[in-house]
Amino acid sequence: MLPRYAFTIAGRVCRQLLRDRRTMALIVVVPIVVMTLIGLSFPEGIVLDRIAPALLATMALFFSFLLTGISFLRERSQGTMERLMASSVSRLDVVLGYLLGFFIFALTQTLIILLFTIYVLDVNYNGDLWQIFVFQIVIIAGAVNLGIFISTFARNEFQMVQFIPLILFPQVFLCGVIWPVEQMPEYLQWIGRFLPLKYGVDGLRDIMLSGMSLIDVWFELLVLVGFTVATSVLATLTLRRGVGG
Amino acid sequence: MVTSDSKQVAVDINEVTFRYGNIRALDALSLEIPAGISFGLLGPNGAGKTTLIRLLVGLLKPKHGSVRVLGEVPSRRVAYRIGYMPQLHSLYTELSVQQNVDFFAKINRLSGGAERARRVEETIRLVDLWPRRNDSVVKLSGGMRQRVSLACAIVHNPPLLLLDEPTVGLDPELRVTFWEHFANLNEQGVTIIVSSHTMDDAAHCDHLAFMRDGRVIAQGGPEELRSDTGQTTLEDAFLYYVRSGERNAA
Ligand SMILES: Nc1ncnc2c1ncn2[C@@H]1O[C@H](COP(=O)(O)OP(=O)(O)OP(=O)(O)O)[C@@H](O)[C@H]1O
Ligand SMILES: [Mg+2]
Repeated sequence: MLPRYAFTIAGRVCRQLLRDRRTMALIVVVPIVVMTLIGLSFPEGIVLDRIAPALLATMALFFSFLLTGISFLRERSQGTMERLMASSVSRLDVVLGYLLGFFIFALTQTLIILLFTIYVLDVNYNGDLWQIFVFQIVIIAGAVNLGIFISTFARNEFQMVQFIPLILFPQVFLCGVIWPVEQMPEYLQWIGRFLPLKYGVDGLRDIMLSGMSLIDVWFELLVLVGFTVATSVLATLTLRRGVGG
Repeated sequence: MVTSDSKQVAVDINEVTFRYGNIRALDALSLEIPAGISFGLLGPNGAGKTTLIRLLVGLLKPKHGSVRVLGEVPSRRVAYRIGYMPQLHSLYTELSVQQNVDFFAKINRLSGGAERARRVEETIRLVDLWPRRNDSVVKLSGGMRQRVSLACAIVHNPPLLLLDEPTVGLDPELRVTFWEHFANLNEQGVTIIVSSHTMDDAAHCDHLAFMRDGRVIAQGGPEELRSDTGQTTLEDAFLYYVRSGERNAA
């Protein structure tokens, strides 16, 4: 049961994306365009400073989820999943392989967003840059797994697209991205506690606004790591060996 | 390459029934396929050929009856000893021909860099795509993709090949090459199970099973089936069985 093929699959995932020049260009350009627009819409730097941690957490989660979810689904629709499942590779190989493969791209994308936000949009922050980045890595790992997990529920691209708002909107509205959680009704705050983005936003705010360290935000880190482990287990379990049913 | 347990029977299918919801795709089907031959599964659309092959690779599990391949219940444990070519091309279209073949060589336990590279090259040359090895699959024609798909199935030298309509879209010259290669593999002890619609393929097989509505309605060597029915072509022999089946059913 050792995942001996995870690296082989990860390598293939990377090669696949790298050969698709347009996708590669979009992976770099789109987050920059989005961040530029957001930056321009906040003429007062101080406001942007305050909202930046929440934006960074949301982008890391959302882009990673999308990239993985759609790519994983393609594996099924183009029939290669059938070949993989008929081979000796285990489901854990597939999930870990995808996690590793996409992680590299999600990481690149997140690093671009982070550096762009800080050096081009000139957002002020406290805390260490590397600690901010490490915290984001944990967010991404969970999001990549979530993408794999959710895509096992979609039979085709149309169905997958329906899941995107379902994953995105509740988290954006209930996790304090736009307005403070404390101003929401009790029951909404309660729901928010089950959403990973809440911990991403809280942790990143503590680091970037209050200058805390990774050790100070251990609780948020722990929850996000737990979420990553839970989603990889779920993704492995829901990946059916069978086809067409 | 071929181990002792596969010397006699490569595939043993015993009273297998399989349903997709209400559709009965296989109906108490039994087949015993000896090792080292080319076995043809023939039948019209929806006869259950793909379903049968998916059961043999372990993608589907029989609801009733039992299946054994190379002496074992289909699972990941035997999977690397099977070469499976799905009916759809099932390739990574962004990747090159070589990258596709190499990937499937790797996940089927073909290890050792130089040995694998040699085997990958040999297989791509066999399907006559070596000059196009660096092209993305997306740039290839339908028949070329079919050839890459076949290469991915046979690259790791498995003792059992399950090929779902491997000759669809191939030009006549390549068809001949393929069947020559299959005959070579048979001599080395490899068992090849091929599904097809064309009687041209059927004539190349050592043994045939005519399928219809999830059942085997007749089986035997191509000559045998022709002479038993008193028909001159395999097409007519097949139609003969289909019609006599209908008569019996009526
Ligand atoms: N994923 C599926 N879900 C539901 N029914 C299916 C599915 N796949 C096949 N069937 C049904 O099972 C029956 C057998 O199909 P199968 O694909 O095995 O036929 P086949 O002999 O391979 O046909 P073809 O020559 O067209 O490839 C058909 O009636 C088909 O409609
Ligand atoms: Mg079929």
